[in-house]
Amino acid sequence: MSPAEQARPLQIPATLDAKFVQLIGRYPIKRSALIPMMMYAQDYYGFVGDDVLAEIARRLDLNMTQVTETLAYYSMLRRKPMGKYHIQVCTNVSCMLRGGNETLAHLRKRLSIGHKEITPSGTFSLEEVECMGACTGAPCVQVNYDYFEQLTPILVDELLEQLQTGMKTKPVACTTGSIHERHELEVPVISRRFGIENSRKIDVYRQHDGYKALEKAVREMTPEAIIDEVKKSNLRGRGGAGFPTGMKWSFVPKDSPKPKYILCNADESEPGTCKDRPLMEHDPHQLIEGITIAGRAIGSKQGYIYIRGEYRYVLDIVDAALAEAYAAGYLGKNILGSGFDFDLYTHTGAGAYECGEESALMESLEGKRGYPRIKPPFPAVVGLYGGPTVINNVESLSAVPSIILRGGEWYAGLGTPKNGGTRMLCISGHVNHPGIYEVPLGLNMKRAIEELGGGVRDGKKLKAVIPGGSSCPLLKADEIDIAMDYDSVAKAGSMLGSGGMVVIDEDTCMVDMARRIMHFYAHESCGWCIPCREGTAWLRKMLDRFHDGGGTSEDIPLIGELAQNMLGKTFCPLGDAAAMPTISIVKKWKNEFEDHLKGKCAYRPANDLLVLA
Amino acid sequence: MAELKQINFTINEQKVAVPAGTLVIDAAKRMEMEVPSFCYYKGLSLQAACRMCLVEVEKMPKLQTACTLTATEGMIVRTDTPQVHDARKNMLEFLLSNHPLDCPVCDKGGECELQDMTFRYGLDHSRFNEEKLHYPEEKWSPLVYYDAPRCILCFRCVRVCDEGMDVKALGVGARGVQSVILPNTSGALNCEECGACIDICPVGALTSGTYRYQTRPWEMTYVSEPCTHCSNGCKTTLSVRNNEILRANNRDQSGINGEFLCGKGRFGFDFTNNAERIRQPLIRRDGKLSPATWEDAFEEIARRLKQVRDKSGAASIGVIGSNHTTNEENYLLNRFARLNLGTNNLDHHRTADYAGLATALGANTLPAQATMADIYAANNILVIGNDPSQQNPLVAWQIRTAIRHHNAKLFLINSQPTKLERQSSLTIRVPAGAEAAAVRWLARGEGNFPEEITGQLAKLKETLEQALDAVVLFGAAIAGQAIRDLFTFGSRLKASTRLMALGDYANSRGAADFGVFPDRLPGYAPLSDAGERDRFSKLWGGEIPAAAGMTAKQMMDAAGSGKLKALYVVGANPVKTFGAKKSDKLGSLDLLIVQDLFLTETAQRADVVLPAASSYEKDGTMTSTSGELQMTHRSIDPQGPRSDFDLIRILSYQLSQLGMGPAIRLRTPEAALDEIRQNIPGYRVSAANLMAGGAERTGAAPQSTENSYSVPEGAIFSSQDSLFSSGTLGRYCSRLNSCNEAKEKPWSSSPNIQSWWYR
Ligand SMILES: Cc1cc2nc3c(=O)[nH]c(=O)nc-3n(C[C@H](O)[C@H](O)[C@H](O)COP(=O)(O)O)c2cc1C
Ligand code: SF4
Ligand code: SF4
Ligand code: SF4
Ligand code: FES
Repeated sequence: MSPAEQARPLQIPATLDAKFVQLIGRYPIKRSALIPMMMYAQDYYGFVGDDVLAEIARRLDLNMTQVTETLAYYSMLRRKPMGKYHIQVCTNVSCMLRGGNETLAHLRKRLSIGHKEITPSGTFSLEEVECMGACTGAPCVQVNYDYFEQLTPILVDELLEQLQTGMKTKPVACTTGSIHERHELEVPVISRRFGIENSRKIDVYRQHDGYKALEKAVREMTPEAIIDEVKKSNLRGRGGAGFPTGMKWSFVPKDSPKPKYILCNADESEPGTCKDRPLMEHDPHQLIEGITIAGRAIGSKQGYIYIRGEYRYVLDIVDAALAEAYAAGYLGKNILGSGFDFDLYTHTGAGAYECGEESALMESLEGKRGYPRIKPPFPAVVGLYGGPTVINNVESLSAVPSIILRGGEWYAGLGTPKNGGTRMLCISGHVNHPGIYEVPLGLNMKRAIEELGGGVRDGKKLKAVIPGGSSCPLLKADEIDIAMDYDSVAKAGSMLGSGGMVVIDEDTCMVDMARRIMHFYAHESCGWCIPCREGTAWLRKMLDRFHDGGGTSEDIPLIGELAQNMLGKTFCPLGDAAAMPTISIVKKWKNEFEDHLKGKCAYRPANDLLVLA
Repeated sequence: MAELKQINFTINEQKVAVPAGTLVIDAAKRMEMEVPSFCYYKGLSLQAACRMCLVEVEKMPKLQTACTLTATEGMIVRTDTPQVHDARKNMLEFLLSNHPLDCPVCDKGGECELQDMTFRYGLDHSRFNEEKLHYPEEKWSPLVYYDAPRCILCFRCVRVCDEGMDVKALGVGARGVQSVILPNTSGALNCEECGACIDICPVGALTSGTYRYQTRPWEMTYVSEPCTHCSNGCKTTLSVRNNEILRANNRDQSGINGEFLCGKGRFGFDFTNNAERIRQPLIRRDGKLSPATWEDAFEEIARRLKQVRDKSGAASIGVIGSNHTTNEENYLLNRFARLNLGTNNLDHHRTADYAGLATALGANTLPAQATMADIYAANNILVIGNDPSQQNPLVAWQIRTAIRHHNAKLFLINSQPTKLERQSSLTIRVPAGAEAAAVRWLARGEGNFPEEITGQLAKLKETLEQALDAVVLFGAAIAGQAIRDLFTFGSRLKASTRLMALGDYANSRGAADFGVFPDRLPGYAPLSDAGERDRFSKLWGGEIPAAAGMTAKQMMDAAGSGKLKALYVVGANPVKTFGAKKSDKLGSLDLLIVQDLFLTETAQRADVVLPAASSYEKDGTMTSTSGELQMTHRSIDPQGPRSDFDLIRILSYQLSQLGMGPAIRLRTPEAALDEIRQNIPGYRVSAANLMAGGAERTGAAPQSTENSYSVPEGAIFSSQDSLFSSGTLGRYCSRLNSCNEAKEKPWSSSPNIQSWWYR
């Protein structure tokens, strides 16, 4: 008998029990419910104890190894209680540039606790975390699932006061920077409903073209016609890799004995990126409609939206929207009388950047550790549960209703050749107006920073730009007079990536930047392959030492060399993502490394950052 | 199987043709071009994790992992370019960054794949100037220890435990550089203790509780021979230093077990130097067993045997043989009983009906019986009345691997739940004792079963009737007529059907093949066949009595009733086996002689005890339950005890001196094997292959026209051993027992959940 079977069945409270039953019912294979069940159990008990874990194992017919190793992978899941208020402070690049480290230092001082520690009373605990998708609201903290953004020491004190006295706190209502006056450079397509009152409600959505595209798709169009339209739109994946969406859909075999799946990648974790969050919180129905149309196009009857664990309130919004869509007959059996059946559920992650990689996401959705899979076979042929699967980013899928409604050619015309449409640009860091802007592809990068972002704040000079999330090689101030489309940015030696643009001013230490970026990848490396697992950890330690004044002249070439040794040799692109920015920084700002050898940090005193465990 | 298409491609400018689907790493290996690898392990799922096997492929921008790359027509691969060498060097540099480099004290030093790779491809200095990760060493079970810093996370252990063993006791904790392997129950391993993870680990991360920190690999000698526990005949390699076995593992993987060994084969060798081992002869004096010289012991036995024979006749003497002794010893014992003692009262504890199988298959025995390889190759496997996962671990492994590698279908007919049900396509649960009836239903449609079972049997029958091949394995419940039914059923299928009887001990098949029976001579020759009697009489140079003797159970009863006066027990414990607990019955014997390793329940009652060598301490051959013959070797000197071969030979001489039959002329096991090869049908095998460590298929079967056969009532029953028991011998394997104890009192090295396992 396995220990799971031996353990006395734990009395699960009714609400949690109902949630468990609901979760298990969502998947063809029970194990898929594992991570969500652990998350909800943790919400209830404060941690995942032995008895709950054994009970979950029992319900899913798993053994203790299987549940333990899965839990052990995810950074949000814990085996011991944290404080009543678990304060998670982001210190990743966007927050770091706007005071994330200072916020953390302030909290440490105020609470007299460190990373992953609890105050004696058990009221507070503190954790330094990676990017939480609030880059345009930096610096931010999350208290349990509530987001607090644009913090200052005074605001932090206020927050602590409120928490301590049990007063109502005021978490942000939506992603800071997602609603603002439209700039003339913007072309609002998928964000056009942002700011409309109750935009997330189905009635409001329907008043603004909602579900018309779905009606058209199921009533007037064949699956092939839908795919053709998307191909014509030149829509390229917005998740980072920029793969043409229509082409991806066309790879799915028409007749497959196995069920086909459509997955929406809402794991948004690329540092600097916070666009999927507002797309879901302001306009969840647009996404649902897009996914349903995609399901129709590839002949799938089942979709899942994999939402990163930190976005719990967003998940709740999407769940409410799904319920509305089911009630209105846009989901479920015989949609709009067309005979097309389609089910769609949310699925929560539990803290792992790697689970945004498409095949790791599928492993995670199957209730396992988020290790990527060997390719080929590609997901379009063998994906979730071994069935053909299309996986797309939130933004890519959100564009689908507009494309179907107004035509692929119209959408393509908004951008440049081969780079159709618009995209959400998150401008964070040292700009005057951090925010999320919808711009046509091909917009000039310099103009975007100056006009949309309002230029570098405090009249400082620009030093560097991360064009699309921290995985991209950094560009120098004189390299940014380029069109922001996939091909032009590639020509400039970087990538358009995920749309998370981070602007860095002249006072920033680039050694510190390299160091912080490497911390992220070392923390998020799944550990599957040697070069990434060991390379990121080695470089993290080396950059820490170097930045803290312990560097030697041999270190400088070695940093670049080690990153180069990882590049192109890792199992999945995360290793490359760690290597690329590092290589660009040592190459382009070598002088700053040399300056470090001469004294301390040439620009700012070294931050007393916590070393992320 | 359809002929596979050939693919032509080039490695290092050399053209090769390989079957479609071949991985580049395998193709390269076949051409003796080395592609280093850690995570790739033939037979387990692909990982592409270690990145050691990166190769250059023309028209592909990035280096490719040879372990996941299937060769395609016209592909041009290079494994020997500067870029490839650099990549290997880089991977090793990364790998060694957190590695403790404690090679001088590491168990694996000298046979470590990481050492070897570094020697061949690595840098000669370290550029890592940071602090290494530290974790304490963990004791997971009495047999398995884990040293996280040495672990290179190749996940071989996890896969072999999950995919190979279907135990799933190992997982991975934390993630990224902090990843560690974790055992299933908070800090402790609760598993089948097969130790496969230790063997498969390329480095010194998983070490064996029995071997760790005892020696260096180059100080030992290695002797490969069949395991002495169950009947499956796994080849195990004994590592010996200073006349002590320090380790048993699967070093060359060349046996019929491939890479498999269960815990008994891997850890169950320490009975050899158990303190309770009898090291000198014992004679009962004044009611107490006291040490004696060999001369006195032999003299005593011979004298008293003669007394019994002269007084009560040869039919009052009985012999119970062993399931552990070698074929040569069984052959000698047969001759000894019939010619020197002049009795046919000769039997052993039968755990499977090998005689029934041999008589049912007859001349067909060799082709119609399944080998271990046949199980793996089969597409349809039926198991009746046995739990291979517990009783026949290698068989279970073969079945699982067949299912995993080529989707073989498994069908079970059992009265008890078994672990293999997880993999079975159809499990038919019959009432205990109704296994034979189920077979009768299959063969003749006769029998009363509830509707549900009839339905399942019909479905099974239908499926097998469509099948292209089938292997049928059965335990003790299928005997005599049931085997004939099975054979009839099998021969009606269009598939070629192969059978395997599943017995319990290391050489139970050999005991049967070499006629340790009251009514059969070696090779199942019926004693009732005068021609066969004559043949052996001539061969052995003495007269064989004609009347069939008593079975083991009858002998035990006769010992109680006083009909039997002397009993010679060789490597058996009938007091325990035949439940003769109350058999102070044995007390009515005039003479009880026991030849064994330990003072068993039977030996404790003996008048004379002779200390015997175990199969690890002597030369000879053994036949696995599948009829596969292998050589066993004297890996250590038992220091005192002698082989049963010698003991029987000497006794034969002693008796001949007293006028009891001719002395055995065969002086060595080799000579006996020669005689066997020449005279026992089904054993005409290549000695060269045997001596080279190979296994030879045998198929002893009666050549006689007299072919009636029936099973004596209650003669065949299983010992119901588990993974942690091995008859009487198992009681003296302290390592196996330590596992049993750990299971009863769950082991926990860490009352607090280890914090480093979690993010
Ligand atoms: C380490 C890693 C993390 C990723 N994270 C995300 C993510 O959070 N969201 C996302 O949409 N795509 C992410 N991707 C890209 C996905 O693998 C995949 O390309 C994408 O979801 C496909 O959708 P698209 O074609 O619509 O862009 C990530 C890729 C890698 C290698
Ligand atoms: S590159 Fe390797 S270790 Fe890194 S995240 Fe991908 S698979 Fe995991
Ligand atoms: S313990 Fe050994 S076999 Fe297991 S992952 Fe580590 S190195 Fe590989
Ligand atoms: S399966 Fe049998 S023969 Fe093989 S190692 Fe285990 S006990 Fe020995
Ligand atoms: S052997 Fe190919 S990656 Fe490990």
